[in-house]
Amino acid sequence: MIEARGIHARVGAFELRDVSFTVPRGKYGVVIGPAGSGKTTLLETIAGIRPLRSGTITLDGQDTRGIPPESRRVGFVYQHGYLFPHLSVGENIGYGATSADIARETAARLGAESLLGRSVRGLSGGERQLVAIARALAARPSILLLDEPFSALDPRRRVRVRREVRTLHQEWNITVLQVTHDFTEAGLLGDVAILLDSGRVLQSGPPERVFREPASPYIAEFLGAENVLAGTVHHLRDVAPDWSPSDDDEVNDLAVRGKHAIEFRAGPLTLYTVGDAAEGTGHAVIRAEEILLSVEPHPSSARNVFRGRITEVASAGALTRVTIEVQDTPLIAALTTRSAEELGLVAGHEVWASFKAMAVHLC
Amino acid sequence: MASVIAATLASIFLLFLVTPIAELVITGGGSGLRKLTTDAELRSSLWLTLATATAAVLCGVAGGTPIAYLLARRQFRGRAILSAVLDLPLLIPHPVAGIALLLVLGRNSPVGGAALDAGIRIVGSPIGIAVAMLFVSAPLYVSGAREAFARVDPRYEAVARTLGDPPWRAFRRVSLPLSMRGLVAAAVVMWARAVSEFGAIVVITYNPKAASVLSFDRFTSFGLSEALPVAAVLAILALVPLTLLRALRYGRTAADTTGVGEG
Repeated sequence: MIEARGIHARVGAFELRDVSFTVPRGKYGVVIGPAGSGKTTLLETIAGIRPLRSGTITLDGQDTRGIPPESRRVGFVYQHGYLFPHLSVGENIGYGATSADIARETAARLGAESLLGRSVRGLSGGERQLVAIARALAARPSILLLDEPFSALDPRRRVRVRREVRTLHQEWNITVLQVTHDFTEAGLLGDVAILLDSGRVLQSGPPERVFREPASPYIAEFLGAENVLAGTVHHLRDVAPDWSPSDDDEVNDLAVRGKHAIEFRAGPLTLYTVGDAAEGTGHAVIRAEEILLSVEPHPSSARNVFRGRITEVASAGALTRVTIEVQDTPLIAALTTRSAEELGLVAGHEVWASFKAMAVHLC
Repeated sequence: MASVIAATLASIFLLFLVTPIAELVITGGGSGLRKLTTDAELRSSLWLTLATATAAVLCGVAGGTPIAYLLARRQFRGRAILSAVLDLPLLIPHPVAGIALLLVLGRNSPVGGAALDAGIRIVGSPIGIAVAMLFVSAPLYVSGAREAFARVDPRYEAVARTLGDPPWRAFRRVSLPLSMRGLVAAAVVMWARAVSEFGAIVVITYNPKAASVLSFDRFTSFGLSEALPVAAVLAILALVPLTLLRALRYGRTAADTTGVGEG
């Protein structure tokens, strides 16, 4: 388990401030943040490489104050590997291993066995990362800290190594904290996502929740939410003329849990949603993949249906992003390229965009 | 036109640096090497110089390495002052360094007196020569060693710590081997400087004569013709560390291009 409570650390002018989060024992935590947000400093502070100015770091229930890095049972993999250049690959992997057999076994699990006799100097960037991961795992840490460890691996090897690290983490019950800027990777690997920016934790929790329910418009945009609208929140105390909660089972369920039916006005657009947001100004976040497009209006349970004109169709492989102008407000929808082709979506055409009340997150 | 002027100036400068030494070696080198077989005083003076310079370097490495490591790795109050103090012996005239050492280690000083009481003579002995050499040349080692440590990314050591090494073992297994080439180069520079030292040695120990003092003594007592072979042998001796340094630097460049120091 990794438990950080109000930690402060400083490197030059940069400061980690009041960082708190928990990664339960045997779980996989993912730290996401822009460059310079303090991700590496955070890992180094947990490892004991950087001094802690205040706060507490508890690793597997043990307060780390006064415990040096070598006694924390923490494995560390830097983005650039930092393989010892005066040692062979085999010697690197065996550096912290309790036996040569464990080093060989770990190398084999990660597909690095063929590199064992080689010199570090001749390795590619991806091979270096692979060896660095094997070296950290061969020491059998109880906690593994990974600083963008898969970034230099080629796509095929990345999938294999990611899967193997995930398997070893489960088999050996290792708690992992990994830094990444890849949201897909965060979603694939993480049990806990920690959003870091300018040395502060913006939000933490299960990745699904962090992505679906960002705590602020800044986080929403940082996480790549395409539709973030500023507006005002109004609670619907009386049933609005076009609002019928009974149409939507999920809405009923939430109402039982004390949430409100909400009307959100963003300029000329009025969205319907449910939530516990207070009345007043706020932001609505709708992920592009939640918006359905059709060339004709279809009756459905979706509470939010708008007619608009396509201004841009941008295809990137199997996915297409369509921008539509709805009453001077751009909305972006994501759909498969095949769907876009079948619907004949081109700029200038009129379409209907719809999304459920549940797809609107207020923050 | 500008490049022609620059090339001419550079050539004149190069000639200025090389000509006296080349002339010295060409004129006195043969007789100097012959004298090595016949001149017992020259031989013993050279051995004395080599032995005292080596002893000075060993002491410099033992004392200077921890300081160099500290300066390269740690931020602490007074770090800039410590750096300046360490460079001081390089900046003061070397006879002045000799006088300063005489004040601290002379027979009338507390340290010199205590050493004499213990049967250790510093002034006027090979120990005095080694001490003078150490004083004037150790800063070069500390400076070179500091650079050598600074070139090694501290994250190598950090990784070693997370792999179970306490600080001393991480230093021995990682930082020391990675900076070894730079440390050896710094020690060679110190040794070369120690061998060529004159000003501080002549104040603290005129006899027995180090090679530089012998060359000066022969010049003042017998003139240029007698000083020439000794001076030429010293110049040839200087080629040894120079060659070693070049070899070390070539090795480092070759290693850098193949990935040493990269992650």
